[in-house]
Amino acid sequence: MAQLVQALALGVLIGGIYALMASGLTLIFGVLRVINIAQGAFLILVATFTWWLWRVIGIDPIVAAVITTPLMFGVGWLLYRFVISRIRGQAPSMSVLLTFGLALVIEGVLNVVAGNKFRSATPAYFEESFRVGRVLLPKAQVYGFLAAIVVLGVLYLILTRTWTGRAIRATSQNPSAAALVGVGATGTAALAFALGSASAGVGGSILSVLYPFFPASHYDWISRLLGIVVLGGMGSLPGALTGALILGLAETLTATYASLQWATLVFYLVIMAVLLVRPQGLFGARLREDAA
Amino acid sequence: MIEKPVSRRTVLTASLTAVVGAGLAACGSRPSEQAATKTDKPLVIGVSLPLTGDFSQPGSEAKRGYQVWADQINKAGGLLGRPVRLTIVDDASSQDTVVSDYTKLITQDKVDLVLGTFSSLLNYAASAVAEKNNMVFVEPAGGAPKMFTRGFKNLFFAQPATAPHQADVFVDWIKSLPAGQRPATAAYPSQDDPFAKPVIDSMREQLEALGVRTVYTSTYPADTTNFQSIASQMAGKKPDLIAQGAVFEDGVGLVRSLKQLRYSPKIMFQTSAPSNAGQYSSGVGEGSTEGVFYTVSWHQDAHTPHNAEFVADYQAAYQNADPAEDAADAYAAAQVLQAAVTAVGAVDQTKIRDWLHANTVQTILGPLSWADNGEPQGKFLLAQWQSGTAQVVAPPDAATSQTIVNPKPDWK
Repeated sequence: MAQLVQALALGVLIGGIYALMASGLTLIFGVLRVINIAQGAFLILVATFTWWLWRVIGIDPIVAAVITTPLMFGVGWLLYRFVISRIRGQAPSMSVLLTFGLALVIEGVLNVVAGNKFRSATPAYFEESFRVGRVLLPKAQVYGFLAAIVVLGVLYLILTRTWTGRAIRATSQNPSAAALVGVGATGTAALAFALGSASAGVGGSILSVLYPFFPASHYDWISRLLGIVVLGGMGSLPGALTGALILGLAETLTATYASLQWATLVFYLVIMAVLLVRPQGLFGARLREDAA
Repeated sequence: MIEKPVSRRTVLTASLTAVVGAGLAACGSRPSEQAATKTDKPLVIGVSLPLTGDFSQPGSEAKRGYQVWADQINKAGGLLGRPVRLTIVDDASSQDTVVSDYTKLITQDKVDLVLGTFSSLLNYAASAVAEKNNMVFVEPAGGAPKMFTRGFKNLFFAQPATAPHQADVFVDWIKSLPAGQRPATAAYPSQDDPFAKPVIDSMREQLEALGVRTVYTSTYPADTTNFQSIASQMAGKKPDLIAQGAVFEDGVGLVRSLKQLRYSPKIMFQTSAPSNAGQYSSGVGEGSTEGVFYTVSWHQDAHTPHNAEFVADYQAAYQNADPAEDAADAYAAAQVLQAAVTAVGAVDQTKIRDWLHANTVQTILGPLSWADNGEPQGKFLLAQWQSGTAQVVAPPDAATSQTIVNPKPDWK
């Protein structure tokens, strides 16, 4: 019983963090129809920068999100304005090429500037745990999870309660109609991309504590995030959260009751099963290509 | 030391490319065959390395190792009196690219010699190109058992032992303990990696034969990032020994999870993760390295010929960084080729090959010699973290520390 509770608790903690990392990807796709392959590279870029802030200046890596998030917001905004906006209206496959190129550039720059080696931030609490009955909850995971929940909550509130958020959602549902009622397409798109990138600011800072990383780690992350987003429904924030929780739980439950070797398979089996029944993913809306 | 299995398709591509390559090679002769006497003409050694992609980290270290060797030999007047020039290209950790790289190096650039690339995945394909072209292929990192089942004559693995024999020296140490002090139970988690898993499997079989009871085994995929579940499973079984087939992140990840769950085994062994000196100790926390065992092909302080010069020159060239094992392995591979070329006195692939099959080469890894299939016939060093530094503790003549920390203290 304790084993099951332990596995469930860890799965939820891991899932929450995955959800945060996947939220930017799904938001950007939802609004821009851009599949941002560079999201993983953004995470590693931020993780490296966070590591540096922690190592050289002594800022706590999770607190460093306060710095990295606005920074990534700016980076995302500039990237959209000067790079991504040039492929507006093109097929989503073009965005894959462009953002994959972006990911390679980031990996290359990190290789040269930061060096090709493994890093991980190890603040004092990284190896301590909270004990709840017989269940141990690693502190770093708990802090990361809480930060993720806060950010996801804020993102959700922005999208549902503010004019900007409604503009973003309107653009994602029907860009022409949104433009008709006065939503500036380029500004909204830049904002959505910036918000998506900003989520990688928090995600990357958390990643730096939880997982050792090096410049080429972004491949592992983007494949995991794409799986989550496809399962949840591309463009859906609640979908990303659900997909991430399923992946987290699939990992810990298969590791506990079978072998971790099956974890990936179990997750992709779930994806296949879901896509057979709901091709748009758990929470995805069917795309009306004629309206887009 | 990151390795990946080989797909059937890539093997097919490799052999096809190699066959085509061999046909093309017959059309031209190597520059050295015409002008071997010209002393000012550089001797060109072709290498393809994974400088980007999955294996970029060890690949870049290997490049440094080769470079240090080339700089040293050029300072000493070159090889056979000719300056050495390395032609290093990037294969982006791709099997397809490595095949076309070596084919181009051998058949178009007509390099005089080649040296191997990094990882079994890439060397498996690259060595097939070299074999078809009758080029001696000394490689620094490709010890998966599959490498040596193809009956290649030109393949030489420049490390002391292949994967299944890497932990022999650790098993020897367990054997040397009085029966009462040997671990009673053991857990064996391993990454699904052709370089990590055979080490752990072979160790488990040998220890089971000694009466060590296996209480846990598991294999996890390379992209595993969360180790709490494995750690909590093992903690529940309370094994005396945890022996992990750890490439790198997984080694750090498991130790961190064990610490979070407050379980410390009496003996901790990991395959290659702890050999990444600074990165490992900063990843798990320096206090927690105490007593962790691993086996390794090379050690910075080992008293092997030229080792001190290698370390000094490496540090001088790369901002005082300590060389990684991967750089040392590459350097040793170059030493092997150098010894053979010097002994033969010519760039003659057949003679070089025959000489290597018949002789033992002294390298910074210690003496290396090979079976007919290119498999090395030595033993790894047993190393242990002690007071924040990695020490060699066995075999005795290579040891840098006379004490062995046993049992391992609690994580700190």
